[in-house]
Amino acid sequence: MNQPLQIVILGGGTAGWMAATALVTMLPRQRYSVTLVESEEIGIVGVGEATLPQMKNFNDLLGIDEAEMMRSTQATFKLGIDFVDWGYLGSSYVHPFGVHGPPASGLAFHQRWQRALSAGRDWTIEDFSFAIAAARANRFDFPAAGKSTINSTYAYAYHFDASLYATYLRRIAEGRGATRVEGKVHDVEQDAKGDIQTLLLESGERVEGDFFIDCSGFRSLLLGGKLDVEWEDWSHWLPCDRALPVPTERTGDLTPYTRVTAMKAGWRWRIPLQHRTGNGYVFSSRFIDEDKAREELLASLDEPVLAEPRLLKFQAGRRTKSWERNCVALGLSSGFLEPLESTSIYLMQIAIMHLVPLFPGGRPDARLVAEFNRRMDLEYDRIRDFLILHYHLNSREDGELWRYCRSMQVPDSLTRKIEIFRHSGYIEDYRDGLFNAPSWLSVFLGQGLRPEHYHPLADAIPLERLLAELDELRTDIAFRIDEMPKHATFLKRYADAEAANHSALHKAEARL
Amino acid sequence: MESNIRDIVIVGGGTAGWMAAGALAKNAPGRRITLIESEEIGTVGVGESTIPPIILFNQLLGIDEDEFVRETNATFKLGIEFVDWRRLGHKYFHNFGMLGADLHTGVPFLHYWMRSLKSGGDPDQLRFSSETEAARRGKFGRVQRAPPGAQPNMHYAFQFDASTYAAYLRRYSERRGVVRKEGKVVNVRQNAETGFIEAVEMQDGSSVRGDFFIDCSGFRGLLIEQVYQAGFEDWSHWLPNDRAAAVPAERMAEPSPFTVARAREAGWQWRIPLQHRTGNGYVYSSSHISDDEVATALLGTLEGKALADPKVLRFKAGRRRKSWVKNCIALGLSSGFLEPLESTSIHLVQAGITKFLDFFPHRECDPILIDRYNEEMAFQYETVRDFIIAHYKVTEREDTEFWRYCRHMSIPDSLSDKLTLFRERSEVKPYPGDLFGDISWFAILYGQGLTPEGYHPLADAMSDDDLQLRLAGIRKAIMERVEALPAHSEFIRRCCAAQPVTTAA
Amino acid sequence: MTRRVEAVAVVGRDAPLWLAAAAIQRSLGPAGVRVQAVELPSWLASADCYSTLPSLASMHRLLGVDEAKMLRAASGVPVAAQRFSNWAKGAPPYLIAYDDQAGEAGDLPFVQYWLKGHREGLRAGIEDFSLGCVCARAGRVPLGPADTEAKISASYGYNLDARDYAEALKQLVTNRGIEILSGRIADVKLDGERVIGIELEGGERVEADLFVDASGAERVLMMRLPGAEFHSWRDRFSCDRVLTASATQFKSLPAFTQISAFRGGWIGIHPLQDRTAITAVYSSDGISDQTMIAQLSVLARLPVSGEAVVSELKPGLLDRAWIGNCVAIGEAAVAMEPLAAIPLHLAQGCISHLVTLFPATAEEMPEAMPYNDVIRAFASNIADFTQAHYLLNGRFDEPFWEQSREAPATGTLRGKIDLFSARGEVSLRDNETFSEQNWTLLFLGGGIEPDGFDPRIDLLADQPLIELVQQRLRAVAELAKNMPSVDQFVGALGQLQAVGVS
Repeated sequence: MNQPLQIVILGGGTAGWMAATALVTMLPRQRYSVTLVESEEIGIVGVGEATLPQMKNFNDLLGIDEAEMMRSTQATFKLGIDFVDWGYLGSSYVHPFGVHGPPASGLAFHQRWQRALSAGRDWTIEDFSFAIAAARANRFDFPAAGKSTINSTYAYAYHFDASLYATYLRRIAEGRGATRVEGKVHDVEQDAKGDIQTLLLESGERVEGDFFIDCSGFRSLLLGGKLDVEWEDWSHWLPCDRALPVPTERTGDLTPYTRVTAMKAGWRWRIPLQHRTGNGYVFSSRFIDEDKAREELLASLDEPVLAEPRLLKFQAGRRTKSWERNCVALGLSSGFLEPLESTSIYLMQIAIMHLVPLFPGGRPDARLVAEFNRRMDLEYDRIRDFLILHYHLNSREDGELWRYCRSMQVPDSLTRKIEIFRHSGYIEDYRDGLFNAPSWLSVFLGQGLRPEHYHPLADAIPLERLLAELDELRTDIAFRIDEMPKHATFLKRYADAEAANHSALHKAEARL
Repeated sequence: MESNIRDIVIVGGGTAGWMAAGALAKNAPGRRITLIESEEIGTVGVGESTIPPIILFNQLLGIDEDEFVRETNATFKLGIEFVDWRRLGHKYFHNFGMLGADLHTGVPFLHYWMRSLKSGGDPDQLRFSSETEAARRGKFGRVQRAPPGAQPNMHYAFQFDASTYAAYLRRYSERRGVVRKEGKVVNVRQNAETGFIEAVEMQDGSSVRGDFFIDCSGFRGLLIEQVYQAGFEDWSHWLPNDRAAAVPAERMAEPSPFTVARAREAGWQWRIPLQHRTGNGYVYSSSHISDDEVATALLGTLEGKALADPKVLRFKAGRRRKSWVKNCIALGLSSGFLEPLESTSIHLVQAGITKFLDFFPHRECDPILIDRYNEEMAFQYETVRDFIIAHYKVTEREDTEFWRYCRHMSIPDSLSDKLTLFRERSEVKPYPGDLFGDISWFAILYGQGLTPEGYHPLADAMSDDDLQLRLAGIRKAIMERVEALPAHSEFIRRCCAAQPVTTAA
Repeated sequence: MTRRVEAVAVVGRDAPLWLAAAAIQRSLGPAGVRVQAVELPSWLASADCYSTLPSLASMHRLLGVDEAKMLRAASGVPVAAQRFSNWAKGAPPYLIAYDDQAGEAGDLPFVQYWLKGHREGLRAGIEDFSLGCVCARAGRVPLGPADTEAKISASYGYNLDARDYAEALKQLVTNRGIEILSGRIADVKLDGERVIGIELEGGERVEADLFVDASGAERVLMMRLPGAEFHSWRDRFSCDRVLTASATQFKSLPAFTQISAFRGGWIGIHPLQDRTAITAVYSSDGISDQTMIAQLSVLARLPVSGEAVVSELKPGLLDRAWIGNCVAIGEAAVAMEPLAAIPLHLAQGCISHLVTLFPATAEEMPEAMPYNDVIRAFASNIADFTQAHYLLNGRFDEPFWEQSREAPATGTLRGKIDLFSARGEVSLRDNETFSEQNWTLLFLGGGIEPDGFDPRIDLLADQPLIELVQQRLRAVAELAKNMPSVDQFVGALGQLQAVGVS
């Protein structure tokens, strides 16, 4: 095995450069070489991205300096997502990164909360989430390291400009030995066995490889196109198939959370970046036409528009396999789930993290391919069900979409989850994949599903004590929140993009 | 001129002479056989222990075993107990017969036992020897021919009075026409051309003519050495014992069905139980101990009253370079001597006889036959020699000069090769002609403290649990068989009790 | 108008009965739940032994059981590992221990470093890097506190005299004021899928909102419910007999349970304080009970004394472990041969899930569905772990073992074996009892030699890899050296009693 295995990544953007950086960092250079083929002509779908806390783990693994990354990508912090109008008009709940209640108690915290409610307290579950309290107060600080205090019960993620992130990663990846090839793919050649062998660029250049990562976007040039992996359609569960992204000037406070507002035929995102705000309307063309959607979007914005909304089309679903032969698809080429819960980058990242330990040393081993696909099945299915939940569990009377989603047939496993929560507040826990119990809890409660009963174990605690503990917790949270810096302030101190730009400018000027 | 041998003359009686006479009378009929012996020349009758091939010899002669046992005051023998050989206070048993049973895998049982030992099994391999089990419990019985797949038969031999054995065979031979001539041979007449012996001349002036001569004249080798100067190969550097003091003692109340060989200061002491008395003797190296010390040591350790004074015999370990020259073969002491540590004396006579019958020549005595015979007899002696040397060499004793000598002496290559193999794989890989097989070598070497490192690689094929079950099954079968046997003395009483002896000797 | 579950009747026998009654009362008693125990005739023979996983200790903690006292009462001996011999021709015995933390060794699971080292000529086996295994081999008990620096620690299970243990638990239940009725069931009154009440032969009536069936393979309540179905696993597991017997105690107590395969099944040797328990698990197709009894001493290499009792084994599970208001726990829900020391763990796991899914109302119990789902997954993973031993067996020309190799297996298990064969990686699912380390020791011990390893391992140069591995080897050896021997551990139990601490 003298020749290093040639890895060829088709497509740049977040998916391509995340893959490139990860592979060039985590695979030994003497055995693997990484080449990325992208065309500046093909526009990257950069819509201002919100992420999940796993992003930080990924960056840490790659040795990326958080502050530097944030500066380079105009990033802000994210403590969760504020869902507005989802359950019913006027509703607002936050799906936080973190647990409700104190760290690690035996009985699920919300069961105690439920008992307090039935004893007459009118506390909301959000009162007991440190992350939510901080988010709503526009405050931010890093969570405590130890596992015992209330301010250790949360995590955070970022909002950033995905195309800047891609660029940032590109610098790193190239610096670590990845090769970039500019060009558009004209054709793809397979070898006698049917494995992908060569990319033929329009320039005439041939890029040969042993292993291919398809980051070609919706077209899925390699996995879907050449290797013919079937598409599994999920649009009957997730009918949204269009997006109208539009940037606006940031005028309001810098909120440490994403806002997702339900609209007539879909939902609108609001992602705060340092230099501007990213917005967009994700909607279903079955239930609203483009023009009406544009109207509805522009009418709902609370900040000055910086550019015209550009329509994107997509379909909910995925390739039945993410890895076929010597090709793994990442990002849009492997599947699409609307960014309702900021899972797009997560899916790319988790695919990379699953792939690296299973990365072939030569021709792919069917056993490893099977395991990878099994894991990706799990990731996709779990996210899909969670997203369906948002749509299904609504009580809005306005909008065909909502009526459709409320009455549609959903996967059995989801129905069962809803029913048992409705009965006694029970939520299953998983070992791997998203989403964990606190997430489900947020959405269930936030969208109006209140358990009819609480767990009998909550009755085992003397009521006095239970109420006192909860009260103390609320107070403790409020107190600590007050002591936290404002998000904007913290950000400025920690990772000010502008300052970075200025200093870079100064340096440039000084040279002149 | 007729080429068949018509007249055979055996010079010397005793066990060797009469065994030859009997065998020839039975198997080479129609010939005139004359045996010349002198009652003046005493025979070396020290109580003899034998090994199982003697049963074949008896069968060759058509001898009824019970009658034979009665007439020779014999007891039965299942093996030899070696005491103090490895170290003082230690004993082990050299069993007759097989170990365990054939497991039908092509790999001998011994290796499976060794495998069991290596994984923590019992260190006494003789739990898988019916003979040993019976010997330990003082039982004996002749077992009927067993059906295939069952346990092997029990192997045994006899302990008898050598002189009564000779007498028995004399009666047998004379009944079949062997002529005994009393007298001493004083001269030998050879053919001037061929050098073949034509006749022996007696003291009384008569001569006995013969076509073929068998020299059973003892150490002197009247014909083989004094006429033909075959030469003697001295083995005393490997086997320093050169004397034996023998003394009969009272019979044991319960005669043991085995011989005891007990290592002593400068040699070893035998105990051979017969029906009417017990034979004892101390075989020793005169350069390491004096005759007086031996006599004291011997008499001091007798179980039972001595019935006579110790008689000392002298000998030299070694063999005649050729057992057959021209028309004469040597048998018994005239062909060589190895101390009776493994009861091989009579066997070597028997081997010489049966081989002679096999090689029975025409009058001219083809040299090719003679060379082959000599080769094979040499081999017989050498393998027995090596076996005996092993008893001395493989010891932990360093308490006397004698044992220090033995422990550190150099040994023949043929023996050191066997020891090397044994250390590696529990077997010595004897040649087809070797008298002692792997079981015997194992008994001695392992008994004397040499534990092999490994065993036959293919013995690992069987699963552990199968092995354990089979071992347990075999052990159980052995116990059951031995349980059913009568006591040794009871067995003798039932089928072959000798007539009571009126005289002590 | 709904009401809470106020009365729970646990119907069953032996340790599972008492564990269930005590656990429910402990956690839900303060919430007003009243527990009754209906004790059916015991099925324990005098030679029976419970061989347990470390999880039992946490059940004891939950119940507030004095560990030392319990071990004294039940002749208990700590078990650092199980040792499997003769499961493959020519292969050495292998250990499966209970390491909690593998120890930090960089970014990858330690076995990856070992695999590379092994390929480069490292002679130390994987067991040398397992605190549990090294302790087991040295007759020592891996106690805490853990080496917090290297973060290496291990747990241990127990061998317990079954009757004594059950008796001690019964005493505990009695002391806690739980009502106990003893006898046989004469009648079970049903209303559709609900049990209204039961009547004992002595005439006593028991009514409750929730019934727990802890009656083992009898499934005395479950099988009377409409739609109850037992799904047999006989196609996957050939053994259908369990024999228990006793031998004298070991003079010096080993720290492991010995599990030896033989032609017809396997034999477990479980050291206890005052005797050694022997378990033989086998297929009646291959060996009759009489022959098994006759051969037991030889196969166990211990002289067996006293009674040898044979009972039937029917591996499998209920399609629905919870129907209506009746929940099965332990063997009543899932029956499995005791190869992986799981019988009590099965009871404990079910009890745990029952408490987590304790019905919120007495009238309707939709908790049954998630309970059934989770028990099915829980049982399936345990069955997979057990079956893996058989699938990987290397005994040839023996029908029992051929059959075991050819038996159908779940896709999950095949996938696990495939993945480990390819990369030395273990992929755990939800509701697993056994950890990555357990599976790794099983797979390596069972003879799988992975074709490759995690490519990231090559980022580490040879020298640092060697150092990392050596440091780990030393750390484990050092820790193990300071652990008490089993004899010392057991001796200390006695001392506590002498001092009067209970």
